[in-house]
Amino acid sequence: MNSSLDPLAEALGRWRVSPPVDADFRQAVWRRVGQRTSQTWPGYLRSHATAWSLVTLVALGAAAFSGSALARARVRADRDAMVVNYLVDLDPRVQAVLKH
Amino acid sequence: MKFLAGTMAVLGLAAAMIGFVCFRMNSDPALHVAAAKGDTMLWLRTDFHLTEAQFVAIRQLHEAYAGSCEEHCRMIQEAIRARNAVAAARGDAVALAAADRQVEQLRLVCETAITRHVRQVAALMVPADGQRYLALVLPKIADFDHLAAPGLNLDRTR
Repeated sequence: MNSSLDPLAEALGRWRVSPPVDADFRQAVWRRVGQRTSQTWPGYLRSHATAWSLVTLVALGAAAFSGSALARARVRADRDAMVVNYLVDLDPRVQAVLKH
Repeated sequence: MKFLAGTMAVLGLAAAMIGFVCFRMNSDPALHVAAAKGDTMLWLRTDFHLTEAQFVAIRQLHEAYAGSCEEHCRMIQEAIRARNAVAAARGDAVALAAADRQVEQLRLVCETAITRHVRQVAALMVPADGQRYLALVLPKIADFDHLAAPGLNLDRTR
């Protein structure tokens, strides 16, 4: 053994920890476990109201925007296709080159 | 953990429903049906809210225009053929320029005729729809080159 550690070993040997006894510790732990298991969904939502409100707002807003944008894009594409078809039927310049 | 997953599932479902409702509210099923069928007259009827009388009048106008359209088409084809023959001979640059001018002139005549025709069609519609119709078709008539899809070989310089 290294003799230079002897004072430390002696000090550690003398050290005694004597925490105050918490008579309620065991009951407190079981109380918290009980709270967790008896929590309801509304209770969970109430306890996280701010975060879920924000997430709901963002998710529904994004869904509404995406749905509208998708529909508008499809309407635009359909209309563009129809205008081109219509003018191909109507425009002799296009027909002349197509038939050529 | 189960509350987190449950809340996310409910939120996802609500978001999907909202997205679907917004999609339906902003889409135009009649236009989509017309586009899927490639039916341009159905498109005119639904997209420009034509009454039966307007629809019949516009169809008659189209049928009347079809004759002059065919005539223009034939003249442009002949002019293109003549121009290509001159180009193939690789001889007279003046004749080639004249043939090119002839093709361009016929295209201009045709553009004027088709513009007059679509204005007549627009005049049969409700003014707001007529304006919207002209705003859709006139730029494309003027910008003829862009009508062709890539690969259709509609290069007007040929």
